[in-house]
Amino acid sequence: MIEFRDVTFVHQNGVKALDSVSLRIDSGETVAIVGENGAGKTTLVKHVTGLLKPALGYVLVDGQKTTEMTTAQLSRKVGVAFQNPDHQLFSESVEEEMSFALRNFGFPPELVEQRVSWGLELFGLDEYRKSSPLVLSGGEKKRLTLACILAWDPEVVILDEPTVGQDSIQKERLVQTIRMLSSTGKTVVVVSHDIEFLWPMQPRVVVMKAGRIVGDGPAPRLMLEEELLDSARVAQPELVSFYQRLTPRPDSPFVDPLDARRWIEGRRSAP
Amino acid sequence: MGHLLEIDGLGFRYPDSPKMAVEGFDLDVSEGEIVVLAGPSGCGKSTLLRAVNGLIPHMYSGDYTGEVRVGGLNVKESNMRDLAQKVGFLFQNPENQIFMFTVERDIAFGLENLGVPRPEMRSRVDEAMRLLEIGELALRAPHELSDGQKQRVALAGVLAMRPQLVILDEPTSLLDPKTAAELVALVARLRKDLGTTFVVVEHRLDLLVKVADKLVVMNEGRKVIEGTPREVLFGDEAEAYGVTVPAITRVQKMLARDGFVSQDNLLSPGELAKALEGGTR
Amino acid sequence: MMWISGGFIFRRGTSVYHRLDPRVKLLISILMFTTTLLVRSVYELAGVLAFMISVAAVAMVLRRVARTMTFTALFSVFIFVLNLVFTGNLVTSLLYAVRFVAIVVSTSLFFITTSPDELEQVMKTFKLPRDVVFAFVTAVRFIPVMLLDTIQIMDAQKSRGLELEGGNILRRVRNMIPILIPLVVNSVVRSGELAEAMEARAYGAVAHPTSLVEYRTSVTDKVVAMAAVLLFALTAYSFYYILPAKFP
Repeated sequence: MIEFRDVTFVHQNGVKALDSVSLRIDSGETVAIVGENGAGKTTLVKHVTGLLKPALGYVLVDGQKTTEMTTAQLSRKVGVAFQNPDHQLFSESVEEEMSFALRNFGFPPELVEQRVSWGLELFGLDEYRKSSPLVLSGGEKKRLTLACILAWDPEVVILDEPTVGQDSIQKERLVQTIRMLSSTGKTVVVVSHDIEFLWPMQPRVVVMKAGRIVGDGPAPRLMLEEELLDSARVAQPELVSFYQRLTPRPDSPFVDPLDARRWIEGRRSAP
Repeated sequence: MGHLLEIDGLGFRYPDSPKMAVEGFDLDVSEGEIVVLAGPSGCGKSTLLRAVNGLIPHMYSGDYTGEVRVGGLNVKESNMRDLAQKVGFLFQNPENQIFMFTVERDIAFGLENLGVPRPEMRSRVDEAMRLLEIGELALRAPHELSDGQKQRVALAGVLAMRPQLVILDEPTSLLDPKTAAELVALVARLRKDLGTTFVVVEHRLDLLVKVADKLVVMNEGRKVIEGTPREVLFGDEAEAYGVTVPAITRVQKMLARDGFVSQDNLLSPGELAKALEGGTR
Repeated sequence: MMWISGGFIFRRGTSVYHRLDPRVKLLISILMFTTTLLVRSVYELAGVLAFMISVAAVAMVLRRVARTMTFTALFSVFIFVLNLVFTGNLVTSLLYAVRFVAIVVSTSLFFITTSPDELEQVMKTFKLPRDVVFAFVTAVRFIPVMLLDTIQIMDAQKSRGLELEGGNILRRVRNMIPILIPLVVNSVVRSGELAEAMEARAYGAVAHPTSLVEYRTSVTDKVVAMAAVLLFALTAYSFYYILPAKFP
């Protein structure tokens, strides 16, 4: 669905934001992209919808080069939820805000109304339908931007640092949303440095460092590679660290605290 | 004498709001303590912080009841000039608290405002840069800096005023875990070296639990839980209020209930593993 | 937009010119500007331009000045045509057009070699009120930030299907609304946050704040200033008395 072939991108100041990056994400996958700030995660995301174009190599979305389409066209298939909702909310009412993208993409009016209602209900924002989006709280704004994206039903949803500033209840709701998206067959890409939030979802993990991909594999395997994570300045999930200290075996570490408890009880009862 | 910060029955309601943003709030913070304030979004944390440094009521008026005393000053009756020298405030967005075109001039901003003579100002700016290890950034422009660097610059500007109490409003929200850990270590070091008291609002507790003395949880304007981090995180109520209990702590809680480990201390993953090994041998 | 940034936004430099006291740099630009206005013939104008280019070379900003000149020249074609239509005089039309370029360049030279801190110092010298100076310095400090915000807002809206390229003029104007509103809102929020931070750092506590940086004029500054004034005087004199006699 999304493919990077030897992509290199250089900033104006000469720094290589992406250095010969090759990556392939298939339809329906759930992928987490991790790495410290400045590793190139957001630059990578911007290449998917053509906001940035590679200096070398090329990016394919659904078989087409990103250089052959506009960002607006690519966004029909790839919905990106950026970090800061305040960079996009502008309408007089929440329902107008939700219909903005739909109108841009040429949805007929009846369908627009249907989608808006669906999205508002799904994200519990129905009561704010006629309110100005600017008076919503931070958490509500984030839900709204996500609702806006799902309204046009893109095949791919990319979330850029969705957990910043969120409390645990909001994060839990986000996890449920992501699981829901995966279960409906969507390709989900989450860019985050919040490893604890990602861990229970057990996604495929791509580790970036200084514009390069230094690790790519399923979470259970990748998160055990302490040295790799350390060099990329990525924290290891607590449960994984715990697991590693308890046993030298490199198999599936604990997904959640209950796992851990069961494992320990199991070991205790066996002599 | 007393505590550095004493909040007595504080209540505040914004002019256009029907409900109280903060209600019946009591808290005492002693000198040199690190207190973490947590709670779900909209619980009144921001309002409380502003009542401590004086922005409430001096910049934001409203229905104010109760009393806040910091460093011997009554917040309501003092002016911002005096309060700013007792309480420093690091706001959440580092960008919007850096005014000047060069780093060192911005760090001097508060001192210039207070009319501090140049030689003293120079040494205090240098001291602040040294404490935050940003000496080489002295002549850079803010837009050339990373978020972590901007934050250090903003913090240096706050520390240059030598406040006894520093408020940090979600300081790690924009940082990646390693940089966030470095910031927490810095805060602990400042507490140790300068004796500065810190009140920190944070969602990411896993980083702060080791250094914090007290954890206070708010909900709907009221204080609902107060205790040591250990007490609060091992308790049953924290999770209900949106407090992110670290995964390893949840494991420890479960194991402690079954008698495998104790609940004397909050253990890190490595420590917990070691404690278990000790048991099986 | 690019030529505005190229022509008027400060970038750090190490040349002798950059290191001059900003008031001297201001003086030089004002004198250049005034000289341009006194010019009566194309030869004089050529001379002034040559001088400006030399100064730009000394300041090591030649490329930027050349770019500014080129872009301004494109705009001044309009002035040339307008003048030609009204006066029918080729020479004076050319004069006005090129003079416009020279005026822009003389102003540009000041702004690209003078940092916001130095601008602040100049404003203080002219005894402008503290709040005005502060507002100006802060505004300049946030220009790069706002440019970045604009790009991010454009990115976000493009990602919602907004086509910013192409279309008639009406469509283009309407498409600016989703860009401008978040920008304005963000600016308002920013102002609020800045106000809080200002209060928290005791802004306005004393009537006369002190300053970390001290600007002292060196001997070089004084010499350059005097030389500039002298050169100006000689030039003006020659324009009015010597040259008309020799080149009527």
